[in-house]
Amino acid sequence: MAHKTKRLWKYQPLKSSYDAVIIGGGLHGLATAYFLAKKHGLSNVAVIEKRYIGFGGAGRNTAIVRANQRTQENLPLYREALQLWPVLTKELDFNLMFHNCGNLNLFHSEAAMKAARLNTASGQFHGIKSHLIDAEECKRMVPALDISDRPRYPILGAMYHPPGGIVRHDAVVWGLAKGASKHGAHIHQGTEVTGIEVYKGKVAGVHTDKGKIKTPRVLNAAGAYSADISSRLLGAKLPISVLTIQAMVTQPLKPLLNHVVSSGAYHCYANQTLKGEIATGAHMDPWPNYTNETTAHYIKHQAEALTEFLPCLAGVKFMRIWGGLADMTPDMAPIIDGNEPVEGYYIDCGWGYFGFKSSTVTGKYMARYMAEGRCPEILKPFALSRFKEHRLMGETAALVNYTPDN
Amino acid sequence: MSRTITCPVCGRRNGYEFRFGGEDKGPRPEEEGMSPEKWFEYTHLNDCKAGIRKEWWFHRDGCGVWFTIFRDTASNREVVRPPERELEAVP
Repeated sequence: MAHKTKRLWKYQPLKSSYDAVIIGGGLHGLATAYFLAKKHGLSNVAVIEKRYIGFGGAGRNTAIVRANQRTQENLPLYREALQLWPVLTKELDFNLMFHNCGNLNLFHSEAAMKAARLNTASGQFHGIKSHLIDAEECKRMVPALDISDRPRYPILGAMYHPPGGIVRHDAVVWGLAKGASKHGAHIHQGTEVTGIEVYKGKVAGVHTDKGKIKTPRVLNAAGAYSADISSRLLGAKLPISVLTIQAMVTQPLKPLLNHVVSSGAYHCYANQTLKGEIATGAHMDPWPNYTNETTAHYIKHQAEALTEFLPCLAGVKFMRIWGGLADMTPDMAPIIDGNEPVEGYYIDCGWGYFGFKSSTVTGKYMARYMAEGRCPEILKPFALSRFKEHRLMGETAALVNYTPDN
Repeated sequence: MSRTITCPVCGRRNGYEFRFGGEDKGPRPEEEGMSPEKWFEYTHLNDCKAGIRKEWWFHRDGCGVWFTIFRDTASNREVVRPPERELEAVP
């Protein structure tokens, strides 16, 4: 049963000049390349990836998508991101496996329910569906939940967010690479950026270990490595800390979770993949590092947290655990900027663990920013200058206990 | 695999006993001549270096002392103070 396989994206030799160079073959980089080539006629674009596309956060996240963020600045972006999945599935002619199962955020205190009321109202104001439900309703939706007063933090209620769900993250990488390549963008894997050339205050080119490239535009979309690249190659430091976040999956089980379930108090989220495994995670080692190390410490913690509200999982085995890097900013919102500190230099980083759900929509607007040189309204609130003005966004309700800030 | 941090008082202990206290950015800037720009640089900006650097730690679940160590962020291990010539590259 031999059938011909076709490569999804083409191998191209590295040219000596491009109209734009994108550092990082993750989702933000690939999405920007795709929209630059398809929408803005800028097809002479190169994506430079040190390892292979989807090596970093793009292939390590837990694939959850949602738009129940807190702030006025973030909500419209994530709303559009959710609307893009079915559109892109069609446009890229690639099944992104958007499973619109909805997200259930559990709350364990009156204070959390009160905060969720504001959260829900903010979403509704922007046309994003979310509503609060009580513990009995939670039990009806997910019978496996323990709503008794046995757990240390009993479930009081939840915010149900129907438009969210799960998207197959590798499929998004491959689909975008396929689309970008089809419209003329070059993808160079195994190529490391070693320098950014600046001439008279403008970006002039990029040095790589495979040769020099002339270009007037560079996008730093290197995920966790963005801040290191920015500080090492341009001397432009960023307000970022890079932490390892861990996730794990259990052995496959019969269907028992038909929604993404998460709990802020237990600091744990879980969803059942289409294969039947329970994918769960949320923990970060609270000090910066660039490794993907995993720890027994968090396997134990995850098992304890998960079995508090889903006691039926007691005794189920974890099959795999992995780590990825998250570039955290002090306000949990990204840094998107352009022509700073030099003309032609763009950054799209600091996504922490929100990089997956926001990738395609950010790529869409980043491409417009780079093609027109003017920042689209929707991206303006994320400029680096907000930290200089000490106007941080309130994307976290309270300081989370694993940032270096506390 | 051992992730340990060496406390100047208690010696080498499990890394989870400690709290990370940020990159070593030198002394806090003087109040005189302070500007929002300077404060922004001191409070928010990081080198995010993938390699050896000097940083602050706090023995949270121990003796409560604040101290600095050298750590390689690329390997996630505490290292001994690098030789002077290599140290020049460490901020």
